[in-house]
Amino acid sequence: MRRYVTNPMIIKELRQRLRERRSWLLPTLYLLVLSGIVVCVYYFTTDTDRHLNGVEVQGADIGQAIFIAVVLTQIIVLLLMGPVFSSGAITIEREQRTLAGLLTSLLTAPQIWWGKFVSALLYLLLLLASSIPLLALPFAFGGVEPLDLVKALGSTILTLASICAIGLWCSAIFRRSVHATASCYAIVLVLTIVTAVSFGMLYSHWQQSHPGAQGPPAHIQAPLFLNPFYPLLTLIDENEFRVYVYPVSSWLMFAAIGCLVAALAMRRLQRSGEQL
Amino acid sequence: MIEIEALHKSYRKSRGLDGFSLHLESNELVGLVGPNGAGKTTLIKILATLLPADSGSVWVSGHDVSADPAAVRASLGYLPDVAGIYQDMRIGEFLEFFADAFHLKEPQRTAAIEKALERADLAERRQDFVEHLSLGWKQRLMLSKILLHEPKLLLLDEPATGLDPLARIQLREQLKRLHAEGVAILISSHILSDLEDICTRIVFIAEGKNVHEAQAPAPALGAPAATVRCEVEFEGSAEALDRVLTGFPGARVLERNDGFLLFKLPGTSRDASACLGKLLAAGITILHFDARGPGLEERYRRAFGEHTS
Repeated sequence: MRRYVTNPMIIKELRQRLRERRSWLLPTLYLLVLSGIVVCVYYFTTDTDRHLNGVEVQGADIGQAIFIAVVLTQIIVLLLMGPVFSSGAITIEREQRTLAGLLTSLLTAPQIWWGKFVSALLYLLLLLASSIPLLALPFAFGGVEPLDLVKALGSTILTLASICAIGLWCSAIFRRSVHATASCYAIVLVLTIVTAVSFGMLYSHWQQSHPGAQGPPAHIQAPLFLNPFYPLLTLIDENEFRVYVYPVSSWLMFAAIGCLVAALAMRRLQRSGEQL
Repeated sequence: MIEIEALHKSYRKSRGLDGFSLHLESNELVGLVGPNGAGKTTLIKILATLLPADSGSVWVSGHDVSADPAAVRASLGYLPDVAGIYQDMRIGEFLEFFADAFHLKEPQRTAAIEKALERADLAERRQDFVEHLSLGWKQRLMLSKILLHEPKLLLLDEPATGLDPLARIQLREQLKRLHAEGVAILISSHILSDLEDICTRIVFIAEGKNVHEAQAPAPALGAPAATVRCEVEFEGSAEALDRVLTGFPGARVLERNDGFLLFKLPGTSRDASACLGKLLAAGITILHFDARGPGLEERYRRAFGEHTS
């Protein structure tokens, strides 16, 4: 176990990653986008026109709106970045012809995988950590509890870990980074859009056969358990979202997918001497 | 050090190795020679645990390659034909990473890194980025890297490719030094003059099989037969020497100076010995006699005449 903690791959990967220009450029852009979202949401919710129409704006409404907007924007941006950091991790070793050096050292395939995984995830966690002050801003307005923040962060971390594992699996399968990255984005699209469309179709079919029923049952929501946004929907305190109450199922799904693709990637990495 | 028996390896559309066998002792520096696609790289990759063999037995340093790959990796250093290197790391960091990857513990770790820096003559440049090194220096760094864990066997796949003449000379000297230190080396290369200079033995491979020179087909009609070049420094009359040479049909004088003769003799070093005996018997004072048998190039031609296009 100690070998996984003191894994030289983690140090090497982080050192190389943090030397790139994007290591400081991306967090800057990331925080600019999130800050822009906070400002827009604040002005939208405190809009004087809406106020004049008789809608009373409460501090809790502002806090909730900012929190949900930041959490959803954050997961969108990180879902776009996850494949960039993970799906090129092994293919770059192949492209630069450095993989043979790793495979003929005493590092095992799981250690190589773990080093790549931790370094990709740690960089995304750095982005996530840098946004905590923005996520904590709604506490000043009310309507959001610390537990909501913990749930949102925990759920985002689990989703990102699964996406990183998927990216590494694509990286272990393909020879070229461009193919691995495209495949990883395709999987992310399936998880976000195809699951939502499947749910929409199932739900409309179910509504026709159950007119007047309150919200979709668990089996109709099942495709959404694979959707990275689903656990975050459970945080929204609005009537139409109160039916989405199975975040644990979604977390288990993502954990299972992550473990499966991790095992497949390690197996593939063990045999990748044939691709060199 | 290496024991290979009847090794087979097939790819989807081609055959990599077809019953190849090799025995390499711990005091040998063996050159692996063959045309492109002969199976040299496949063989080295199997020895380096990167490729599984289809059948046959492969033992390295007393360990079965398929059963105990970790022990095999711990006992050898492998330099691939196109060795990638982390350009964005400092030289010191690069060696530290691989020292950790080979699980070296302090104080051996620091000692191994310092020794590698000295060996590569890069101790003054340990803070430089690898990308600032020339190809020759990178190759020296790679060679030092694969020696970090003090392996007893080196597998080198075309290590001189792309190197300038000076870097090639330095590489040859380094390999000779390592061999003198007791490291067994299996080296694949197309640069026959380099191999001729450093190797204790040459192994020929073609179409995945061993090619034995003795079993090579006789030269076809019109093809050059084996010859031996003789250099003689002598005292006295050159005419007496010419007379002796007329007794050797096919002997051809290449260069003639005062007291010096360079000639080519059909046959092998035995024929050169016979010639020397006759020169001495004719009463010619021989100051220096040097006979060189067929060079590696000629041996290569004889071994692969039918394999090369």
